[in-house]
Amino acid sequence: MAIRINPKLVTAIAKYGAEDVQKCYHCGNCSAVCLHADETFNFPRKPMRLLQMGLEKRIEASLDPWLCYYCGQCSTQCPRGAEPGETMMSLRRWLTARYDFTGISRLFYQSWKAELAAILIMAVLTAAGFLLYGFSYGDLRVYDGPGAFLPSSAVHIFDWAMAIVLVLLLGSNAARMWWLTTGSNKKIKFDFWLYVKKLYTLPLHFFTQKRYADCESRQPWKLHLWLMLSYVTMLVLIMFFLEPMQAGPDIRWSVHALGYAAALGLLVTVVYAIHGRVKKSEVHMKHSHESDWIFLFMLVLVTVSGVLQHVLHRAGTDMAANIAYVVHLALVVPMLTLEVPFSKWSHLAYRPLAMYLAEIHRVALPQPKALTEPAELMKMAS
Amino acid sequence: MDELKIGVYVCNCGTNIAHIVNAEGVKEAAAALPDVVIARSYRYMCSNPGQEMIVKDIQELGLNRVVVAACSPRMHERTFRNACKTGGLNPYLFEMANIREQCSWVHADKLAATEKAKALTHGAVNRVRHHEPLDSLTAEMCPSTLVLGGGIAGMTAALELAMAGHPVYLVEKADHLGGNLARVDSTAPYLDSARDLLTERITHLRENPDISIMLNSQLKSLSGFIGNFSATIETNGGPNPPERKVIPVGNVVVATGYKEFDASRITHYGYGKLPDVITSFEFEQMMRAGRIQTKSGKPPQYVAIIHCVGSRNQEFHGYCSRVCCMTALKYANEIKSALPDSYVSDVYIDMHAFGKGCEDFYKKSSEIKTLFLMYGKNESPVIRKAGPNDDCGMLIEVDEKLSGERIEIPADLVILMVGMEARPDAGEVARLVNISADKDGWFIESHPKLDPVATTTDGIYIAGTCAAPKDIPDSVAQARAAAGRILAKIAKGKIEIDGVFAEINEDRCSGCRMCNELCPYSAIEFYADKKRSHVIPAACKACGACVAACPSGAIKGRHFTDQQIYAQIEGVLA
Amino acid sequence: MSYEPKIVGFLCNWCSYTGADLAGTSRIQYPANVRIIRVMCSARIDPTFVMDALAQGADGVLICGCHPGDCHYSEGNYKAMRRFPLLKNLLKSYGIEDDRVRQAWVSASEGQRFADIVGDMTERVRALGPSRVHSTLLADQRER
Repeated sequence: MAIRINPKLVTAIAKYGAEDVQKCYHCGNCSAVCLHADETFNFPRKPMRLLQMGLEKRIEASLDPWLCYYCGQCSTQCPRGAEPGETMMSLRRWLTARYDFTGISRLFYQSWKAELAAILIMAVLTAAGFLLYGFSYGDLRVYDGPGAFLPSSAVHIFDWAMAIVLVLLLGSNAARMWWLTTGSNKKIKFDFWLYVKKLYTLPLHFFTQKRYADCESRQPWKLHLWLMLSYVTMLVLIMFFLEPMQAGPDIRWSVHALGYAAALGLLVTVVYAIHGRVKKSEVHMKHSHESDWIFLFMLVLVTVSGVLQHVLHRAGTDMAANIAYVVHLALVVPMLTLEVPFSKWSHLAYRPLAMYLAEIHRVALPQPKALTEPAELMKMAS
Repeated sequence: MDELKIGVYVCNCGTNIAHIVNAEGVKEAAAALPDVVIARSYRYMCSNPGQEMIVKDIQELGLNRVVVAACSPRMHERTFRNACKTGGLNPYLFEMANIREQCSWVHADKLAATEKAKALTHGAVNRVRHHEPLDSLTAEMCPSTLVLGGGIAGMTAALELAMAGHPVYLVEKADHLGGNLARVDSTAPYLDSARDLLTERITHLRENPDISIMLNSQLKSLSGFIGNFSATIETNGGPNPPERKVIPVGNVVVATGYKEFDASRITHYGYGKLPDVITSFEFEQMMRAGRIQTKSGKPPQYVAIIHCVGSRNQEFHGYCSRVCCMTALKYANEIKSALPDSYVSDVYIDMHAFGKGCEDFYKKSSEIKTLFLMYGKNESPVIRKAGPNDDCGMLIEVDEKLSGERIEIPADLVILMVGMEARPDAGEVARLVNISADKDGWFIESHPKLDPVATTTDGIYIAGTCAAPKDIPDSVAQARAAAGRILAKIAKGKIEIDGVFAEINEDRCSGCRMCNELCPYSAIEFYADKKRSHVIPAACKACGACVAACPSGAIKGRHFTDQQIYAQIEGVLA
Repeated sequence: MSYEPKIVGFLCNWCSYTGADLAGTSRIQYPANVRIIRVMCSARIDPTFVMDALAQGADGVLICGCHPGDCHYSEGNYKAMRRFPLLKNLLKSYGIEDDRVRQAWVSASEGQRFADIVGDMTERVRALGPSRVHSTLLADQRER
């Protein structure tokens, strides 16, 4: 049964960042150097080929782009400048857009102006909402305690409501990812216990990103892990320890120490990343899509505003702290609601999920064997 | 006979001979033969010191026969004959034993190869005893040249010769000059206009008074030998009856070109049935007309170009036609620049981007978003009409090798890169000028590496695609090379004819005249008064047919006498 | 020592000798039993050469020329082709086996073909055993 190729996909995917994919002439150098390519040496060459030929269904069904951490060795080795590393990144963006059933992701990736506009609208709505609440129920000069402008109890409820919405959205997209790559694949029989057995891979990869550590240079892994753990720490503190975080002037050091450490980690790593992308100092930072910039800048603004509102509160200028808090929330809410389910941040779910599903594929599917033994090749030839 | 003093030289040829044949052993065996006064084994006999060894031995030891056991005489017989001449010995008192191409290079068994080398040397020594000194003859060199074919190669050769001031007869079968290049629009990889190339050539040609352009003309017969050919040209000038002209020429350049493969022979391309499947030449016409469109008059959205049509395929021609890959890329670039919204798929087996600028051209073609799809040798994509719901006119189904998938490629227009073939009249041309063609019909050169424009017949040169598929730069280079060789011969003024020919001993000749009809060169005349036959030395090519046939044994084949051959037989079997 | 056939090959300069050289440049291996004698054209080969070779001790004789139509001297190989059946008849009447004398056409580009022909002929002549022509003649001479 022949599959129809679609020469139009390459033109369409240029918006996602893959401008050089047609230069690939399949020498295979990238696959030879990729640390994550298995015996068959198919990665990243195979996704490059699927993209060149426009075989959308096959790309959608593939977990391969998520198994890559963009060490960039392939792009360095490529003799033609086809940028396989950046192409895999573009495929991740494209897949993010495909997993999302709302169509918002596709809109954001194809138009950064739409993404900025959405952020702006969300920011304005958030600010308006919180200002309304604050002026209705509290005093702008009071930061915490009775009469607080934005009491932690209220923000806490809001945070959880937002979290549930996010989880539902991201979860539904992740379910779609499962369906496209595994659920609809007739060759994989649904084995409940296999799914249970391999469930440990989700938190394992989420918290350690251990495959990233296999890449030739360990520094990107270390920095990314630091960034991620800082963020997770901050998230846990906000979701579960908001009250002691906000409360003052007595400092509960056990909470605050973690908060300061997390803030420092976020600042250092994000500034390093922005600096790297501006200077194009490393191979995986040579290409920056608009979604990359938006993500980094949102994160740095959120961190800075968060630190600012805390410092102002500690300094005693509670009114300024409240204003800063509103600004901080007006930045955090769009960042979370838009970046997590629809843009770059979705990789926090898709990549660990891909690792998990890859394990299941490995067990449930017969693995393609590489013919590396000359004796076997001879047998095939005769 | 004077006392024989034979010198035997066994070449080691570095390790080419010595690593299989025990050269010392062969030398020892030769030294033991009667009349051999000196036997030597040396690394490279053809080198200057090697040759000087022979010269010195002739002068100091008074050698009157020399045997060299080394490579093929087709390689170095001339070299060593010259060495003998330098030493003061008649060059025909020399014989070679081929212990390389026909011994060390083809046998792995060292003992057997050495025994054979000893036998071949023994044969050569036996033979050389009976060699006689022969002198060569001289003849005039006619400075006119006949050029067959008015394509780019033929025109280039003609111009080169005429600009040196010598008359040229340019014979072209068609009614116009330019050959296959006249059917082309632009050239790869720099996209120059073919028309400009040709116009420049043709203008210079017509302006040159030394060139006689004969259109609608063909060579009907060629007789004679180098420097002294007689060519009969027939011109079919429309309403007039065909005219024959006999012209004397000194050399001939064969530049008859190629014909393209007939794509209808591959039925699953649908050429001739599907209206939008066209050949490369038909696409060139489209480009010259300035409009790329399907038969229905619309510009195509999907264009597919298929390489190796009739080439690299066991069923048709196994060879590569060399120019099509870059021409296909040329088309991809032209289509993308004329129709920027179109999608071009290039369906190839291997991308042969061998020349200057070609690898960059290939990269540039990928930058303009050409989709490259690879299929396997000896396979053929299948083209069929698409369905009513498809957004394209045709679908090409093929096993794609880079992805491992069986795919369908959409196409509104398919361009078949048809390969080069020998012209149907190539065999006839070869016979007329007495050259050979290989199994694919391409003319055979004297040596594929060292002598690519000469042939085994002196005075006949080949240039351009009639010898093998090649591009314009190579055709022009060969044409100029052939012209250069001819100019060198003309500059010498006289031609030296080998002293090897047949001789009739009038005392033995019975006048039966059997030999007269046998000679393919009509080189034997009959003296009616004496009632004896006589060989014309300059016309004789020394084939030996008459020698073997003479019932009286009256004809002696100089340098290939019965005595010499019997002696050689005895030697190789010793 | 087991018998190794000795085969004399008469090759024409333009096609078959060049073809044999090509086998050499291509390093195509074949048995070392053949000893080649160069003539300009297969038409030069007098049938008595074949008889003489057998008489001198050859176990087989191979005659090679250009393919019909491709003779460098236009028709030489046709002449050789015509002489051959007569020669074969004569040899048959002497009791010399058919496989011992062979005529083949080899072009300048057929190195592999030449090697194959030599290989094939060597095996056939080996299977026939040594030719008794030479030994018979020797015995005959001794008797006188």
